[in-house]
Amino acid sequence: MAAEVAQLLLSVIQGIPGGATNDDLTKALSDMPAATRVEGLNILLQQGGIEVLKKGEKLIYRAKDPQKKSALPKDADNEEKIVYSIVEEGGNKGIWIRDIRIKSNLNMTQLNKILKNLETKKLIKAVKSVNASKKKVYMLYNLEADRSVTGGAWYQDQDFEVEFVDVLNQQCLRFLQMKRETAEKKRDGPLAFKQMSCCSVKDVHKFISDLGISKVNLDEDDLETILKTVVYDGNAERILQSDGAYVYRAVNMPLPAPGLVQMPCGICPVIKNCSDCGDVTAINCQYMKDWLD
Amino acid sequence: MSADYADLCSAILEQCFGKVVQSVADCLFSATTRTLSQIVSSTNFSRKEVGLALSVLIKFRLVNFEPSKSNAYLPEYSLRREDVICLLRYSRYIHLVQSKYGNVGASIAEELLNSGSDTATSILLKCLSNGENKSETAESYKNILLKMIADHYIIKSPELITSEEGDDLVPRFLTNECDFFVPPIIDLQLLAKIQKGESTLSNAQDSAMVWHLNYDRFHQEFRDDIMKIAIERKLGENAAECFRFILNIMYNTTDPWQRRVSNQVTYVEIKQTIERKSNNLDLLKHLDQYIALITDDSLGFLRKVGDMGGGQYVVDMESSFESLAFACVESVITERFGSKAARIFRVIRFKKFIEQEDLQKEAMIPAKEAKSLAYNLFQEQFIHVKVIKKAGGGGSGPAKAFYLFQIKTKDTVRMLLDVCYKALYNIIRRSNFEKSEHKGLIEKSQRLDSIVETMKERGESEDYIAEIVETFTPPECEILNKVKHRIKTLSKAELTLDDTIFLLQMYQHHCTTLPTGIQKFK
Repeated sequence: MAAEVAQLLLSVIQGIPGGATNDDLTKALSDMPAATRVEGLNILLQQGGIEVLKKGEKLIYRAKDPQKKSALPKDADNEEKIVYSIVEEGGNKGIWIRDIRIKSNLNMTQLNKILKNLETKKLIKAVKSVNASKKKVYMLYNLEADRSVTGGAWYQDQDFEVEFVDVLNQQCLRFLQMKRETAEKKRDGPLAFKQMSCCSVKDVHKFISDLGISKVNLDEDDLETILKTVVYDGNAERILQSDGAYVYRAVNMPLPAPGLVQMPCGICPVIKNCSDCGDVTAINCQYMKDWLD
Repeated sequence: MSADYADLCSAILEQCFGKVVQSVADCLFSATTRTLSQIVSSTNFSRKEVGLALSVLIKFRLVNFEPSKSNAYLPEYSLRREDVICLLRYSRYIHLVQSKYGNVGASIAEELLNSGSDTATSILLKCLSNGENKSETAESYKNILLKMIADHYIIKSPELITSEEGDDLVPRFLTNECDFFVPPIIDLQLLAKIQKGESTLSNAQDSAMVWHLNYDRFHQEFRDDIMKIAIERKLGENAAECFRFILNIMYNTTDPWQRRVSNQVTYVEIKQTIERKSNNLDLLKHLDQYIALITDDSLGFLRKVGDMGGGQYVVDMESSFESLAFACVESVITERFGSKAARIFRVIRFKKFIEQEDLQKEAMIPAKEAKSLAYNLFQEQFIHVKVIKKAGGGGSGPAKAFYLFQIKTKDTVRMLLDVCYKALYNIIRRSNFEKSEHKGLIEKSQRLDSIVETMKERGESEDYIAEIVETFTPPECEILNKVKHRIKTLSKAELTLDDTIFLLQMYQHHCTTLPTGIQKFK
């Protein structure tokens, strides 16, 4: 009897997508006494079929998405449900354990137990953030962590992959230089040469994908960051096209190595302390001695 | 003017003119102006010695004097600090003249540099009596000298004003701009007479006209070379040739030392000049493209400002030397801190202001490494930090502030320039040290050389000469070679280091409003 009432109520509530108020229910099921209705609603709430929201002074009953509901097993208790929903709200950015505690108002030991429970059931997972290595965030098991948490393609676990970036940097530069060299061979005038030596991010992306040096899938944005580092190394130029996109081309340094760095003083780490007296002087300088002999 | 530059000047002057001049110049360096008695009392040399030192400095145009404001009979001396470093560039000046005017020009420049300033007749006389180029006639010397004056490499010193008010007044000079490059009258017959000893120098007509090398003209040539080489490295030879013509056209209408940008040059002018003077077909064919290439390049040498005459362009000295000076700063950073640090430096330069966290993301360098590199650069004053405080910290809780990295371009360049001065000073000091350490050995070898020379002239037997040479033992010989090698390395480094100094000085001239050594005709 009670289950039938619950089904009836659920179908009414599902019929109103914005959620049904008490008035809606009395109107739709005018023959049902208030006590039976309350009993039915309670059953639904317990099963997790609906949720109660407050709009102004009125209570609204809304049907829950059956897909979401199915993730949580039937035997989960109330605390687990609450924690699960908090984690769910966090989305793919994850949520920190302290924030869960504050939101759920549970004590630490209990919360730890629940989280562990949910983890073993493979409902949620803990992900280490790259920004703060000790900070663990929780998110639903089936979600892919956001780039701000994992750091994108450049992070393996939480470690920045220096070698990987360096290799890509070198390969991008090699590609740009190759392009420049092939352009140099054709003699079609200076502007044509310049245009031919320019590469779009797409070209570079194709080259890198064909090389197969990367296990991870790199998109064009990733390569744009790499190309920027090539520019920051002073080996390439970034040129704005008329359509708003950027192209890249390898360039030479405008100056030969300056005279200053051809002698030890230019690269001396203690040049600040160097003077006529004291321990650092031009006369007893070890760098100078090594250089002259 | 920094303490490093003061040390350097002192060392240069000691090397060139000796101790007395050095201490007189040191005394003048630290003050705007000094009177003779002030110098005497602070240097502890006699009045005569100081007077002599001052006259040497005045002859080499390193000291100016003016009557004191309160007393027209009292001269006040001041040091031209910026010119002291030019003493080190003498070999470059001579080299330039030699490549333009051959050996004759080089010997004229050399005589002029050795004497500081001199009359035309006297220079020719010295060149002829030196006789390095016996085959050349007085006529050819005269022609080259006049040509160098016409090309502004040699300039006339201001003439003395003869006043009737009395001889006690401080002498004054007449500076007349139109008069700087008027060719002097040189009497070759008189020159021949003086050579034979039949007449004296005082009979020459031009004894009042004193000439000296025009450093600015040389520096202009050096500066143009830097720019041309930069274009050649980046955009190829043809573009460099094109730019050379643009610079030549620019000088028709622009003072070479105008600070920021030149006056306008039109496309038609460039085209006409190149058609007339160049036979580079590729350049002629693609001229518009080459100009577009230089204009679009990130170095920013050339800028389009209008469409008159097929396009109006200006040579943007400010952005040129900013790019070049920073290319130099960047290579110094690469060598000193590694390429990752240079990357960080460039990121900051591109972004103007950037926070630590964004910096490591943009440069793709692990957080720890990026932090350490950035802080190192900050410690060595290549980069700077701007703190933006948020209002209302109120002393409670942590102060809220943003720390943004930035580059104060002028400060960075000046810091590097000071490092260069210090390095140059170190080279001179080290070189003096090596020389004094092995003084005995060097003198011995010189004595030996001269003995062998005279013996050869006298025609002594080979065996006997060999015996004398052997008094110089192999270990001594080895040490001497080592020392010679060291001194050679040091003087080579001195020259290359001066390239860096010159570049950074050009930055200061074109990109700042600081007073620099360049005045319009000194």
